[in-house]
Amino acid sequence: MPTTPPPARPAPPGSAISVRDLRKSYGRNEVLRGVTFDVAPSEVLCVLGPSGSGKSTMLKCLNLLETPTAGSVVVGGVTLTDPGVDIDAARTRIGMVFQHFNLFGHLSALDNVTLALRHVKKVSKAEAEEIGHSQLKRLGLGHVARHRPANLSGGQQQRVAIARSLAMRPEVMLFDEATSALDPELVKEVLAVMRELAGSGMTMVVVTHEIGFAREAADRVIFMDEGLIAEDGDARELLDHPPGTRFREFLAQVL
Amino acid sequence: MGRPYAASADGTRVNGETKIGAAVHDFFHTFFDWSEIAGALPSLLGEGLRNTLLIAVLAIIFGLVCGMLLAVLLLSRRRLVRLPARIYVDVFRGLPAIVTVSLIGLGLPAAGIRPFGRSPLGYAVVAVGLISAAYCAEIFRAGIQAVPAGQMQAGRSLGMSYLKTMRLVIVPQGVRNVLPALTGQFIVDVKESSLVYLLGLSVGQRELYFIAQERQAASYNASALVAAGLCYLVITIPLTYFVNWLDRRMREGRPARAGAEEPLPEPALAEG
Repeated sequence: MPTTPPPARPAPPGSAISVRDLRKSYGRNEVLRGVTFDVAPSEVLCVLGPSGSGKSTMLKCLNLLETPTAGSVVVGGVTLTDPGVDIDAARTRIGMVFQHFNLFGHLSALDNVTLALRHVKKVSKAEAEEIGHSQLKRLGLGHVARHRPANLSGGQQQRVAIARSLAMRPEVMLFDEATSALDPELVKEVLAVMRELAGSGMTMVVVTHEIGFAREAADRVIFMDEGLIAEDGDARELLDHPPGTRFREFLAQVL
Repeated sequence: MGRPYAASADGTRVNGETKIGAAVHDFFHTFFDWSEIAGALPSLLGEGLRNTLLIAVLAIIFGLVCGMLLAVLLLSRRRLVRLPARIYVDVFRGLPAIVTVSLIGLGLPAAGIRPFGRSPLGYAVVAVGLISAAYCAEIFRAGIQAVPAGQMQAGRSLGMSYLKTMRLVIVPQGVRNVLPALTGQFIVDVKESSLVYLLGLSVGQRELYFIAQERQAASYNASALVAAGLCYLVITIPLTYFVNWLDRRMREGRPARAGAEEPLPEPALAEG
């Protein structure tokens, strides 16, 4: 019954992220069945897969929003799955962008960006607001700094969410279907930001259905199926010459 | 000025035409005797209103603070933390207010525990506040649970601890969810402040109900109670509208033009 785990190759030195035999079960339902991969610094990894394949769960294990049942996760040299790890400190170096933005509804765009700076990094109010303003400006949001999330379009909200993560100066950015909840005409502006970010050398793990984005911006693609990595390889090569039937079927459906 | 209604009613009776006229007169005389009301107003407004507000406001603050602490305990993942809070809430919501006030205000001093000396007001504040805390805890818990789970995930993903995310993200939004429900509790607290009469009040400590009930007992006329009732309404009805106004203001936040026409900036990500 238990599937043979992939050979546990040692993590290449200097990996930004390395995941070994990651498993996650909810009760008797095994969602991740032994996932192993590495992400090099500045690498952009796209994770594709049908819904229910475990890709979102896998991503949330990378900052321990989901607690793995077994296996290890190392990000920036810190083993997050060690019992004694200071997870809050580790998370400040891992940015995460959510499908539904999850902006703090009671705060302005600027306060969303500065909240963790002030209360986690203990940056002064003035300095935090300076960082916040420059992050918002960088994402073309300077004019909505004082707006509440409810008064922003979906695309603007998601860009504020990206600014909120970037303000913490993370080493790694995780994107959990960041454009799936957006109206089609708003997807473009968020993908543009992500593409620029990829170009700037940020290490990124992107769970997405945007094959176009994967083809253009990703260095590598992982295809997940039923809690396992079914394909793992160079983005263009894999997308232009999909090896397995399951992957070909998936691409045919998405495209 | 005098009593225009009473005068005409007296007239009816003197003419002795109907028993109905006399009954109507007695009814209005009992509840709306202007001289009774006028006589009661100075102490109602001067002494009573002040003491009622004092008890109610302090009890409300007590209830809000303790209620919020209890709500956070009720939401803990640890059963051992939840359990004492659960028991507290069930007990104080389940007891009649009159029993709680008696237990605190008569029981504690009898047991030699007299943090407020012989002043009944302090005991009333604690008793009403303890009851209020139990109800506030349930209101806050419901409001906090209505905050989407993604808010906690976002807070944690930024490196904020569970408690920090609670304090800075979840609780502020949870409170906003339940402001109208809290108004109901504030009104209950104002009304329950009257139970302090059980503890016996001397001049200067009397609140609205106590003053009115003293006058009613002396004159066998309920007009002072009507006057006291009006004083309660003068507190509770504006309170409702004040909280509704506050609620609207917090919901709307800063007035902002939604998604003002905004050119997609190029490049989306400038040099950083």
